[in-house]
Amino acid sequence: MNLMAIIFVAILANNIVLNQFLGICPYIGVSRRIETSLGMGMAVIFVMTMAAIVTWIIYNVLLVPLDLIYLRTIAFILVIAGLVQLVETILKKTNPTLFRALGIYLPLITTNCAILGVALLNVQAGHNIIQTIVYAIAAAIGFTIALIVMAGIRERLDLANISSMLRGAAVTLVTAGILSLAFMGFKGIVTL
Amino acid sequence: MTTLAQEFTKGIFKENPIFRLLLGMCPTLAVTISAINGLGMGIAALFVLLGSNIVISLLRNLIPARVRIPAYILIIATFVTIVDMVLNAYTPDLHAALGIFIPLIVVNCIILGRAEAFARKHDVGRSIIDALGMGIGFALSLTILGIIRELFGAGTVFGAHILGTAFQPMAILGTPPGAFITLGVLLGLFNYLFKRLGIE
Amino acid sequence: MRDNVRMVLTLLIIGAICGGLLSMVNGVTAPVIEARAKAQFLEALQGFFPAVADSKVTDIGGEEFYTCYDGSGNLMGVVASVTAKGYGGPISYDLAVDKGGAIIGIRIKSHTETPGIGDVIEKDKFQGKVIGLNFADPISAGVDVDTISGATVTTSGVISSIRRVMNIVGEQFLGMEVEKTEVDLTTVADGTYTGTGRGFKSDITVEVTVSGGKITNIVVLEQDDTPNFFNMAEGQMIERIINAQNLEVDMVSGATGSSTGIIKAVFDALK
Repeated sequence: MNLMAIIFVAILANNIVLNQFLGICPYIGVSRRIETSLGMGMAVIFVMTMAAIVTWIIYNVLLVPLDLIYLRTIAFILVIAGLVQLVETILKKTNPTLFRALGIYLPLITTNCAILGVALLNVQAGHNIIQTIVYAIAAAIGFTIALIVMAGIRERLDLANISSMLRGAAVTLVTAGILSLAFMGFKGIVTL
Repeated sequence: MTTLAQEFTKGIFKENPIFRLLLGMCPTLAVTISAINGLGMGIAALFVLLGSNIVISLLRNLIPARVRIPAYILIIATFVTIVDMVLNAYTPDLHAALGIFIPLIVVNCIILGRAEAFARKHDVGRSIIDALGMGIGFALSLTILGIIRELFGAGTVFGAHILGTAFQPMAILGTPPGAFITLGVLLGLFNYLFKRLGIE
Repeated sequence: MRDNVRMVLTLLIIGAICGGLLSMVNGVTAPVIEARAKAQFLEALQGFFPAVADSKVTDIGGEEFYTCYDGSGNLMGVVASVTAKGYGGPISYDLAVDKGGAIIGIRIKSHTETPGIGDVIEKDKFQGKVIGLNFADPISAGVDVDTISGATVTTSGVISSIRRVMNIVGEQFLGMEVEKTEVDLTTVADGTYTGTGRGFKSDITVEVTVSGGKITNIVVLEQDDTPNFFNMAEGQMIERIINAQNLEVDMVSGATGSSTGIIKAVFDALK
């Protein structure tokens, strides 16, 4: 499979938030300000790539040879939880500036289903390690782009006169729907 | 102290996980392309929630506080894997339709949220009631969304033709944008209803 | 210290119980899943060949081909479990071909095409156009199978995939000759050659000049295709073939029939 095609499809045509519905909770929760979206996006890119590599290794080196594929959900989620903890500890000690920037987002990421989702999609698609890394980075970039675009729109929506019933999550969802419609336009340009 | 009845109904109305708390949005949007998928997902999550609430409530005095989160994740992931295997064995069509969102029940905020906020502080009886209320609230919301999307997107409900052949299906409701827009509009509608009925 | 030991122990015990429980459940469900997959698979084959009794699987390039035999061991046909490129992603489908090389069935297994548009491939409107086609037919979008308007990318993706699969099935399992469109120019001596190929509605005759192992000129001698379309195809196809120095070139869209004819004629001249 062509790596460029993977990148294009993961970022635009098959965006994990707008097309695959992964990571909706942080998408609605953290998309109020562009600044925080950027922080969340960076944290997701970092953790998603690490998680994809580690889970790929666990799956192909440990679970498949031992015929324990049915343990993959449990193994993946523990690895991701442990990884997030580890990243948090290391970052705190070695790079306090970065920790201050990303720290508050890290605990949120454990329950971000996009991380586990991408890990599962990778093994399901039978990607090799290079494709896994490329797909994880591209998917995370796609997440970040969707998040920042939404934050930009919401900063303006704050000033708009919206019915109190639709304020907040409801109007965010409708906006996401329209964004998703726009992203659908990228389908068919590159096929896998 | 809240009564048991209140404990049960809070998950369906006052603290409805989808329309009030906005938890578990990913499967809500992804699988509700038809009513049966929504119901199936709801029941799968209900089972996991019930199992994890019971076990965590039973073990609430045995698990040291500092490692409780990894322990909860282990327990929840076990139930999720059981659901995954059982669905694969006995309802293969549903398993294929729900796909990756079955293992993703693990990271559904509702489950870990109830373990952390409720089951570890209450006895088994109350935890079961809480799980049933929350789980039914979740399943019901998913089914409603599924019915709406299936009815207008394909003209059927649970696979039965309702709207007849003259009805031109609104195919967009079956697509991702349709999912977002339907849930957004429904959320606004429920906000209105809840306000009218005085439930805050 | 005691606290730490207790923490680790608790986690280990919970982990062990969970693992044990899962392997127990897996022991119950795994055989059911396997048996169901097998039954479902046989059922799928029976959907195409009702009298199938035995089948043999061959893996070619990651795709599975099942040769089906009846009760007395006679070859009935082949079911190919393959993927095509669609508009929204891969389309996985089963294609059944009888031993005479005719398509007797197609079943779309999974796709991510747009609902209401690309999912036409699941319906009779599209499948009816494909079923009954034979190995010897061109099976080419716009030539003998019409694409569905509005879903051109999806349907032409499936059609070209069917052609590819038919070539594999015919060559590998049914002992048929695949019409090659590759020519080895190094084996062609200098000179001019003429050849004929079937265009959209007439035979096209061309004269091909080869010099120094290269195609230097192509002239159309005779044809009776629709003029507008043929002229469109003629100019561009000749240029593409001379630039590429082989016949693996894109068709001129809108004039696929004439384009195919030109390729066939050039191939006929040089073979």
